[in-house]
Amino acid sequence: MQMMLMKSTQLGNFITTQLLESQYSYQTSIEESVVLIYDPNKTARGFLSVKAYRLTPEAISVVQERDYTPEVLRKMRLGYENLFQEIKVVIKNSHLLNTLLCELFEMMPSTEGQQFLDLGTMSTLDRQLRCLMEYVDDLSQEASKFNNLQRQLAKQQQEKHKYLQKRAAENAQRQSRGEPPLPEEDINKQFKPIPPIPRLDAMITSGQITNYCKQISQFCNQSLGKLYVSKALQ
Amino acid sequence: IVIIVILYLSNLHNRCDLIFLSYFEGFEDLCKAYQKALNVVKKEEGGKIPGFFLRCLVDLEDYINQVWEDKDGRKNMSKNNAKSLTTLRQKLRKYTRDFEEEIRLFRENPDAEDSDVEKDEVDEDDDDSVMDDDEPLGPAAFKKEPSIPKEEKKVVESESDLDSDESDWPSDSDETSSSSEDDRKIEGRTRETFLKKKVDDLEGEKTKKEKIRDKRKTKKEKGESDDDTKDGWQSVSKKAAIPREKPKMFGKDDEVTIPAVVKKLSEIMAARGKKGTDRKEQIELLHELFNIAKENTLGLPVQIKIQFNLIMSIYDYNPSVSDPMKVDFWEKILVKIDELLDMLAITPELAIGEHITEESESLEKPPYRVRGCVLTIVERMDEEFIKLLKACDAHSNEYVVRLRDEIQTCKIIDKLLQYEEEHGMPSDICRIYLRKIEHLYYKYDKKAAKQVKGELPEAEVTSLNEMDRLCKYIFVRDNTDRLRTRAVLCHIYHMSLHDKWYEARDLMLMAHLQETIQHSDLPTQILYNRTMVQLGLCAFRHGNVKEAHNALLDIQSGGRAKELLAQGLLPQRQYERTTEQEKQEKQRQIPFHQHINLEMLECVYLVSAMLIEIPYMAAHEFDARRRMISKSFHHQLKNSERQSLVGPPESMREHVVAASKAMRNGNWNLCRSLLLNDKMNAKVWDLFHEAEKVRLMLGRKIQEESLRTYLFTYSHVYDSISLVTLSEMFELPYGTVHAIISKLIINEEIMASLDEPTSCLVMHRTEPSSLQSLSLQLADKLYNLVENNERILDQKPFFSRGMQVIIRWFPFFSLCLPPEIKIFEKMLGPVWRCYSGGPQKIKKFCVYFFF
Repeated sequence: MQMMLMKSTQLGNFITTQLLESQYSYQTSIEESVVLIYDPNKTARGFLSVKAYRLTPEAISVVQERDYTPEVLRKMRLGYENLFQEIKVVIKNSHLLNTLLCELFEMMPSTEGQQFLDLGTMSTLDRQLRCLMEYVDDLSQEASKFNNLQRQLAKQQQEKHKYLQKRAAENAQRQSRGEPPLPEEDINKQFKPIPPIPRLDAMITSGQITNYCKQISQFCNQSLGKLYVSKALQ
Repeated sequence: IVIIVILYLSNLHNRCDLIFLSYFEGFEDLCKAYQKALNVVKKEEGGKIPGFFLRCLVDLEDYINQVWEDKDGRKNMSKNNAKSLTTLRQKLRKYTRDFEEEIRLFRENPDAEDSDVEKDEVDEDDDDSVMDDDEPLGPAAFKKEPSIPKEEKKVVESESDLDSDESDWPSDSDETSSSSEDDRKIEGRTRETFLKKKVDDLEGEKTKKEKIRDKRKTKKEKGESDDDTKDGWQSVSKKAAIPREKPKMFGKDDEVTIPAVVKKLSEIMAARGKKGTDRKEQIELLHELFNIAKENTLGLPVQIKIQFNLIMSIYDYNPSVSDPMKVDFWEKILVKIDELLDMLAITPELAIGEHITEESESLEKPPYRVRGCVLTIVERMDEEFIKLLKACDAHSNEYVVRLRDEIQTCKIIDKLLQYEEEHGMPSDICRIYLRKIEHLYYKYDKKAAKQVKGELPEAEVTSLNEMDRLCKYIFVRDNTDRLRTRAVLCHIYHMSLHDKWYEARDLMLMAHLQETIQHSDLPTQILYNRTMVQLGLCAFRHGNVKEAHNALLDIQSGGRAKELLAQGLLPQRQYERTTEQEKQEKQRQIPFHQHINLEMLECVYLVSAMLIEIPYMAAHEFDARRRMISKSFHHQLKNSERQSLVGPPESMREHVVAASKAMRNGNWNLCRSLLLNDKMNAKVWDLFHEAEKVRLMLGRKIQEESLRTYLFTYSHVYDSISLVTLSEMFELPYGTVHAIISKLIINEEIMASLDEPTSCLVMHRTEPSSLQSLSLQLADKLYNLVENNERILDQKPFFSRGMQVIIRWFPFFSLCLPPEIKIFEKMLGPVWRCYSGGPQKIKKFCVYFFF
């Protein structure tokens, strides 16, 4: 029994928190379920785009805890790159369908599908760049958030340290005078630990950016190839 | 007074609407009254506390306790009420502690006390010759009073004079004897009936109160006029009393001479401002004196002097400066001032001024000299007029009725102006000129507008000419900066109102007010704001969109236009105003008939912002950091973008936003129909004096700016565009299209050239193309990201993943660049610059990747 979650996408913007959550619930209830990502735009242009993904075991264990602090992520060795794992998709048609396809292929006019040197790429690249920029902005924000947190932590740490030192000095003084040391106080009460920022959003954004980058590079590779081919032909 | 308090309390009690504030006041009055009556009570009853007073306290206590228990009810109370309730409860507790014993007794046996009171009352009736006016047994006292000997009555009156309540209740004393008859009837009843009549509605109680007051007043007047008729006083109405006062001022045989009158006048005026003075009576007396002077033909100077003082005391009548005077006094004062000015006009040999001292006055023979300042009086009158207007509800009929007095006010000012022009000093003339200007500047004169258009000859006297003359006089003669500043502002305002755009603008620029205006007083700053707004509107009417935008920007940017133009108070978010602040702010408000329509103002601003901003946005779409020209316009745009569903536009703002969106796509037709339709006409455009002209101008502007936007947005899909097609598309004449495009090319806003023979616009493909500029933008963003990441790394060395991210997708980003190596290098430049400051690792990586 296999469960499949179908998801359509445009320009490959499929890595989201929702997908993570739903895939997690599918995968925990039915072990073998995968998510199929289908890009109708690309398919319409003649490139069948179907991809299958699964959450990695690390990702599942992290999502289970719902704890996205940097420490946990580090411990689990979970990064944006191993959040999802891609599974190879093999499409198998029935014989009947294969026959139909062959027939259709023969029926196709001979000029169709010949314009492989088409470089109508501007708009796609344009759109992808825009999307990419949006995510870069997001990531940048996340980074500055994290940065702030770190600064706060460092400051607190310093204060804590100062306080402890002062305390130790005082205690030593008291001891020398033969007085009992100051009672132990809960240091966490005085310096409330700052809650760490969940890194899930940053991770997902990074994953999405990688995705975009992959697509863009793929696209550019094709275009470059075409350009060189056309240059050779000239 | 106690009676009144009781009535008041019980009345509220019955209404049960939980106005504890009023309760509280009532209670305080009660305490005061009791304090006053205390010594009498001590004397009369050996310190026994009157039963009804106790009952009042007990009732109040019970009621408050009852309310206090009702927790839900308490929660629903307004803040003020709840506060008053608490205070009242505490005070009452404290207060009743003194009477604990009595109250306990009273609670045990209320009826006995009651009968006791009855008895007390009778007792007091018998010997109340020393009774205070505030005696709890008011009605009985009143009943008795007529038989009291004159001297005693006087004592009573003088005491009551000192009571502040007398002036707190300036009720009309024009009651006739019939009402005092009523009073008698009421007085005939015992106090108990009063208490039983609690159920009466508020109005009833009030009139009763007033009647009692009136009665007292009548009595008092009698007392002071040394009238020795003892029992006939009920039938003497106030009007009848006036002729009888005359012999009091001057005996029948006394010779009425100028010194005698002056002496009398100074006698009367000596009481001015003193605590016990009845201001109303003073006015009456002065009036009387004036009539005497007139009858005895003592000459105009004396009359003028009396009239002066009379006007002053009418002004004095109103104790508070912030409140407007009463309407009937206002009407009176208009007449008086008018008379005064008439008198002044026909006595040319009279010198009048503040510098003349009382001693150096000469009233008997010319040259006459009189102390006083007409200018101050008239200025005060003008201020009172504005106060009166502000006190009215601007949308009521009352306002319109008041506004009719404007004509009279202006007439008086004109009269004084004439007089001053003949007699006065330049500084005084400046002052009165400014008064005149301030009545003139905001009025639209059709004749003047025609003159501006050249339909009337220049020589015709219009408000513009008048304004010009007055202002220029002030510019030359004035020594105080304030008058000149105000005159300049009014002048600019007036010129802008009549579409004299260039003159108004030049004057504004020459006056250099922008730099100094923040040091001037608030009313002048408000006037400055008004002027700027008017100037902006004028610029808009003339099609100078940019100037209009700049003029209106300051007013509109903070969203505080209403406050800045003093056309209403804005609710404060951070802090509440104190009452004092609120009062001050209210005083600053501009009367309604001078208001500038705020919606029109905002619409003009938004439309100008749209006309500037939309082409700008289209032209600078790819700029990494583009500045905003108008923040509030962007705010509106963003607001509309945030909505998930945008319906058809309803309000003015929605119309403008919808039009902006249409313009962004170069759809000028839709844009125009969104801005110029029936709805917007009714809301905004019809408010202009020449609405049709404005609409035409706006339509043309929209076409032009849409063309520009269209070219910016879509030029990259064209290789060439025919100008003829463009002019057809935008329904603009060929010449205009040509001009606009030429300007764009010269300013290098679009990269293209004109091909004259085919009349085509030929686009040049230049760098950076949109994709390249996008890449540049991306590079900028990446730089920011790297910076952020580096900062993280600086702080903690363990977190190196951010670095990996950058490094990982950096190559992909660079792959999207066009493959020609030239551009590649070009692109590399900024990217390289971005990274040149970074750590060695990245640098190395870049080098490794590119080469």
